[in-house]
Amino acid sequence: MKLSEALSVIQGAPADAPPFPVLLACGFSPLHLENYLAAHLQTVVPHRKVRISAGLYDDLAGTLEQFDPAGAHAVAIVIEWSDLDPRLGYRTLGGWGQRVAASILETVEGTLRRLEIAISKIPSSVKVALALPALPLTPAFHTSGWQASGAEIALRELAAGFARRLVSHPSVLLLNEQRLNERSKPDERYDLRADLHAGFPYTLKHADALGEALAALIALPQPKKGLITDLDDTLWLGLVGEEGHDGVAWDLASHAQLHGLYQQMLGALADQGVLLAIASKNALDVAERVLARPDLVIPREKIYPMEVHWDAKSGSVERILKTWNIGADSVVFVDDNRMEIEEVRTAFPEMECILFPKSDYAAGLTMLRRLRDLFGKPRLAEEDAYRLASIKQNRHIQESTQNGDLAEHFLATAEASIGLEFSPPATDRRVVELVNKTNQFNLNGIRYTDAEWQQGLEDPDCFVAAVSYQDKFGPLGKIAVLRGERTRDRLRINTWVMSCRAFSRRIEYQCLFQLFQRFEAQEVIFNFISTPKNGPARDFLSALVGDPATALTREVFTAKCPKLYQKVI
Amino acid sequence: MDNKEAKLIKVFQTVFPDMDPQKAPAASQASVAGWDSVAAITLMNVIEEEFEIQLDFDKAADLTSFQEILGYLQELQPNATRI
Repeated sequence: MKLSEALSVIQGAPADAPPFPVLLACGFSPLHLENYLAAHLQTVVPHRKVRISAGLYDDLAGTLEQFDPAGAHAVAIVIEWSDLDPRLGYRTLGGWGQRVAASILETVEGTLRRLEIAISKIPSSVKVALALPALPLTPAFHTSGWQASGAEIALRELAAGFARRLVSHPSVLLLNEQRLNERSKPDERYDLRADLHAGFPYTLKHADALGEALAALIALPQPKKGLITDLDDTLWLGLVGEEGHDGVAWDLASHAQLHGLYQQMLGALADQGVLLAIASKNALDVAERVLARPDLVIPREKIYPMEVHWDAKSGSVERILKTWNIGADSVVFVDDNRMEIEEVRTAFPEMECILFPKSDYAAGLTMLRRLRDLFGKPRLAEEDAYRLASIKQNRHIQESTQNGDLAEHFLATAEASIGLEFSPPATDRRVVELVNKTNQFNLNGIRYTDAEWQQGLEDPDCFVAAVSYQDKFGPLGKIAVLRGERTRDRLRINTWVMSCRAFSRRIEYQCLFQLFQRFEAQEVIFNFISTPKNGPARDFLSALVGDPATALTREVFTAKCPKLYQKVI
Repeated sequence: MDNKEAKLIKVFQTVFPDMDPQKAPAASQASVAGWDSVAAITLMNVIEEEFEIQLDFDKAADLTSFQEILGYLQELQPNATRI
């Protein structure tokens, strides 16, 4: 992005939009990094007005120590070597060479410790994007440029240790140096002229790349939830219908390693909670024989459901989405056949469709990296491990509930228990994550940044409940969040989401029952707003009160609430 | 107006979005409230991008008005086309 384009993006931001305040903490003059960060972030959050504030010049640690969390949704911290010791920059003349190396290392260690303490005090409600020193070290060392000196290694080791410790902080997201290196060549980053004239050490190109990277960390997109894959020439090389189950391959010796790597990637995605399904035009028994091969890299049980027949792919995809109960925009479809890709894309325009590149190795590598970007999660939650099991359970429950008696029997014997955690800690990121990624049982679709969610929580009339569930089939983890406020015996619920994995278990009734009991409430009002996707929430409320805007009285609820079998803990 | 002047007015509009383009040729650091040290550097960098030149920052720091900058650009690139 050219600087003039960045300025135009900033100037074109909607003036009346809710603000998105970000602190840019750096020891140098923020100048164009501020512009590029604002512009890239504005592009990612177009319905907000991005507002960047910068800290004190030449005092990165002081900026972080004085940080007021009320003033920013996020902090972008950019550390350069000169922030750790000015002698590692070009603006001071404090000495280079072996004489000062030990002293520099000592200062760097102390400054990093100070930064670490300041960063670890930032509340977990504020997202922190952290960039380690990315400029080349000055020619201050006794070795030739080809040879790494012990001091340089020690400096990098100190920085790596600092990063390693901070990366476990719940809100710190560390910029991946490898990705930055691809976007901005290390030897094209430093601008001596700008550094000496303006205290700004970066070329425009590097400021652009770094601004883009920091914006991507601050506003990470929601990861995709499911992947639907084809079989022939995709999960494996060859057509199983023609070559037989032993004729298809995914190994190095058969020149089919790209397919093996793809299987390996799918296995890793499944381990982090991504749903996998197959949509293939094949005979099911033939495909099953390949999937039963012991050398299959991806565990067979990780794939559910399988649509293997000769009908149209778009129909298969539709049924898989229904089984998973998630939207097409949360799913990626991979196939080697352009026509199938087009058919699915036409039927589901919001679905990301990827053509499997077969023998194009460069494109294959690009695809694997793209999958990492699409499914990458900042951190793994306990719930990620339950997802597939709960979908299989849901199928069982849905089949049971088609018969009323069976459904009642199923619920009565499920040995279900519900945990209600009032006022969950701010460090529990699953709460806001659930609010922001749930579409169907969602009272109004309103999304929150971590900082926005924290606002008002200290009000004694405000309540938040995080709901977890488990039954004899296993735990579903945290599956619902309610937030509201109490005024005497009336409750107003402003946020209520429940994962689609938890449908058909009367958890929503139990939630309301518990609220009525805990707060001795006589009525509940719902801040319901209809969205294109929140039909399940609307249907539930309509069944209770008719118009969702109508208050639900305790009397009406008691009359309409079905029998609840869960044990509340 | 030569195309350098028109281009420079566009640059001024980018850096000072509230400025009336007709008043840009008369702009100076004294008359434009937002023309501080940060804006001056931004102005230089946008000029470099738009004119595809590299400025001598030591000289450019002394350029404090639209006309001085235009004169400097004319010196650097004398073959301006009239429009």
